[in-house]
This record gives sequence, structure tokens and C-alpha cells, in this order.
Amino acid sequence: MPVDHKRINGPEESVPYELFARLSGLTSEKAFEQLYKAGKRSDGREFEEHRKIFLKNGAVSQAKGSAYIEMGQTKVIVSVFDPREIPNRSDYSLKGELYCEFKFAPFSCAKRRLHQQDNEEKQYSCIMKKALESAVCLHELPNFQVDIYALVMHNDGSALSAAITAAGVALVEAGVPMYDIITSVTVGIQQGVKLVDPDSLEEQMCQVQFLSEKYQDNNHGLLIISKLHTQEQLCQFYQNGYVSLEVLKSGLEVLSKTCEVIVPLVQKCLIKHITNGIKS
Amino acid sequence: MSLCDAEKTFILHGVAENFRSDGRDREGYRPIEIETDIVQHAFGSARLRLANTDILVAVKIEVDTPLPERPFEGKIEFFVDCSANATPDFEGRGGETLAIELSNILASAYKSPKTFNLKKLCILKGKKCWKLYVDILILECGGNLFDAVSLAVKAALFNTKVPLIKSVNIDGDNVELDVSDNVFDCERLDVTNAPVMVTVCKIGDNCVVDPNLAEEQCSVGSIVVAISQEYFSTVTSIGIGSLHAQTLCSSLELGQKVGIRLNEALMDTLSHITSDQDFGFLK
Repeated sequence: MPVDHKRINGPEESVPYELFARLSGLTSEKAFEQLYKAGKRSDGREFEEHRKIFLKNGAVSQAKGSAYIEMGQTKVIVSVFDPREIPNRSDYSLKGELYCEFKFAPFSCAKRRLHQQDNEEKQYSCIMKKALESAVCLHELPNFQVDIYALVMHNDGSALSAAITAAGVALVEAGVPMYDIITSVTVGIQQGVKLVDPDSLEEQMCQVQFLSEKYQDNNHGLLIISKLHTQEQLCQFYQNGYVSLEVLKSGLEVLSKTCEVIVPLVQKCLIKHITNGIKS
Repeated sequence: MSLCDAEKTFILHGVAENFRSDGRDREGYRPIEIETDIVQHAFGSARLRLANTDILVAVKIEVDTPLPERPFEGKIEFFVDCSANATPDFEGRGGETLAIELSNILASAYKSPKTFNLKKLCILKGKKCWKLYVDILILECGGNLFDAVSLAVKAALFNTKVPLIKSVNIDGDNVELDVSDNVFDCERLDVTNAPVMVTVCKIGDNCVVDPNLAEEQCSVGSIVVAISQEYFSTVTSIGIGSLHAQTLCSSLELGQKVGIRLNEALMDTLSHITSDQDFGFLK
């Protein structure tokens, strides 16, 4: 990993203190047991219930379009800038391009993030680009590039989904031609339980394989989809972990349903944006 | 490569008739050539040729300190190098995005402890572990990179020999490792559950596996599935294009079916390779 030497990176081998606290405290397995017994999640939600969303466009005045989204504690700000000519390209391309940058703020996670993009952030940028490319009418922007920047200010799980949903709103505000409204949802899977819109603790819980004898089900993992609402097309799909076909299919259904729940929220935000535009 | 409309229609009709332009059916793979143990300085290596795609994978092992949050586990890292030999597009930083995408998908597919157990690579809890560097070199690019790379990586890991440690001496904070003097004293890695990736490409109304370059051009959307036994360890959509939920389900089914068969064939071939076979361009 290349390190930026012009910034203060902290001591070379520093470790967040929570690591030592967690070893004696709540493990993922115990947390899951509590959650399973209660039949509810720690914040009182049902398993397949999304957190409350706050979505607002026009968060950054300098940008052509921008949006701010809050899902529980997760806070993401997305800005879209004017289309510009694709830099460093000699040939003319008939289709436009998107450039996505997904970044966790240094203070957004339990562990401090560096200023430079690490592999996870690069991967998330790729997934975000993939999702938005199918939603934007790229043929209307020949030889142009649209820059989209997502900054996570607080990561409490499902940050990528939040960023994609917000990016859709920001693109509309920027006046970029699009096919459809885009929404994205994450679901965590552990022992056949599907946790829609997991927070960071639940995300961690879904990434590990439980060792104790009573958990025979091997399924665990995360699923993220982005959906174009009117056409019912999945423009992006990502899964990791270890999941069987049946669980994957049922997870897909849950995700599709939850996407539909978010659509009215996005629509409301867009209508507000337009009515405000007419009034002023 | 750019195709005219007539060529695209030809491919489209071929796929609909279940008889593709090179004579395969929709679930068929092109012939695969594989050889292992071809790089002298590596702990394990494999070269794989799938039609015109040529991949060389070498595994290097080093001693490292485990991550503080995972004191019981070793490490594995994937590096992909898109050589400009493969296509002129890779020149300079051209292949970088593809390389990052490939290494991220591999890392994500090998992440779950069910697919590849990193605990076996731990030497001393919290102090010392093995770190596997998997270096992937793309020598020639003839479509379907994801499948070829995953197969080559699995073969190289199968071939990897981890040095045997006779004893560990702890003196205060210093840890001394005593590695066996005999170079033939080594352990093999367990790769039975390591994932193989299958690219499923939607062309017209049907899905095909192992698309060649021309077929990749006609695709309206494709997904990569990483299959470990019958489970999915990673699924991701690649390229521009979207799929309906139903199409996605059917391509997942196809990917799983083909992935299981592909894995069986690979494991069978690997178990039959003997060390005295003499073939390939590097020998």
C-alpha cells in the first residue's frame, strides 16, 4: 500500500483501542444470539425493515448537483460536477463516461482511514460506477465525462447503498439525462436470517462463519443491489461471503421489495426540488 | 474488435439455436490447457491457456505479522498485472482499472473462511503468520479473463508448497522460526473449497458461458459468479447493462451448474499432473 508522506499518518503501527475492548466484550456470535432470541434488532427494527431515511438535494452549493443522505447513523454526501471533456484522450468517443470516487472520511469508521483510496474504496467506486452507468443516458453526453464524488462522513453500515441512492438524486439535480430512478439496498445474511439495511455491527456479524456447533447453516454474506424502478431492471448486483442459491434468490426478492419502499422517498425529494425551482 | 450488424445477428441466432459460431453449445467451454510448477523461484505456479487467453500465476510466501483484529489468521493478497504484451490497450495505466477489478473480485471470493481457511497460515498467534502473494500476469487476452484467472489461481495454490516449520523459539518479544533444512519438507494448501469463477453472458434471450471476444460484444449484460462447492462466494455484475431479476436468477442457476462441473474437471486434472511431465513453453 503506498502511503502519502505529505500528510500526518499517525504512528506507523498504531491500533484502535476498541480492539482490545472487544476481545472481552460482545462477539459477533453472542450478538447474533441475542438478536435471534429477541426476534428484533438492537434498534428495535424487524429483520426485514429498512432504517428511516433522510434525503435532501442541494447540499453543496458549488456542485452542479448534490445530495445528502442519512440512514440511521450512516451519513453520506454526494456531489456531481458539470460534464467536461474526457481528460487525456485523443480519440473521440460516441458515449460519455462516468467517473466515480467513493471515499470514507478518515474519522468515519472505527478504524482510522487514510487519505488515499484503499482497495475497499476502489472496489466500492467500481460498483458505484457500474450501477450509475446503466442509469445515465451516456449516448447523450458524447465525449464528456461526469464526475461523481461520494464522501462517507459516518459509516454505520450500508454506506455504499446510501451513496448510490443519493448519487441518483444528485445526478437528477445536475440535469444529467437519466433513464430511471435508481435505488439501492443492502442485505446481510447469517444463518438464514436476512437483515435488511444492516448497521456496521450487523455487517460484521454477516461476514464471519460461526464456529459453535449449534449453528449448522453455513450461509453468511452481504448482498447489494441497485434497481431501476420503472423498468424493473437490476443495474448492479454484488454478493460476497458464502451463500446458497435458494438463499440468494430469496434475498434478491427481499431486496427488490425494499427498493420499492425507497422509491416514493426519492420521488418526493425530486418533486420538492422541482416545485422549489418553480417558486423561486 | 468491432462487429457489424450482420455479424452480431449471426452470433445472436447461433446462440438462440444453441449452436455457437465455434460449434459449442451454450454451456460449453473452449479447450483449456493447464500446467503447474513452471516458475523455479516461486513456491507454486501455474500457467493456463483458454483459447487465446494466457495467464501465468506465481505464488510467493513471506513471513508477516497477523492483523491485530485477526490474530489467528494468515494473509493472502492478489496482484494482477495486465502486461502491454496482451493488448496495446493495456499500455501505460490502461489496464489498471481491469487489474483492480480482477484483484478485488478474487479477494472478495477468497474472503470467507469457508472458501479458503487462512487460519492454517498462522504460525504463532498474533506474532507470526505466512503471507501469500499471488501474482497474476496476463500474457494474452482473448476474452473471458475472469474464469481463466480464477482457474489459474486455484491451480497455482494447489501447487503451492508451504515450508515446514520445525520449531518456534520465543525470547521476550523476539520470535525465531526454525524452518526445516530439507527443501522437500513442505505442506500443501487445502484448495478443495477454493472458488472458481464463471462469467455468464446474456446474449439475446439466452445466457451463455465462456464468451469469446466477439460474443462479449453482443452481450447485453453479464455477471461473474464465484462458486465454491455448490455455494456462491461472490457474485458481481460486470460491464454496462442491466438484467431483469428473473434473468439474473436463471443466469445464477446456469453459473452454478457450470461452475460445479468446471471445478470437478479442474480438480481431476490437477490430481493427475505428475512432476515429470514435460510440456509448455517455459520448460
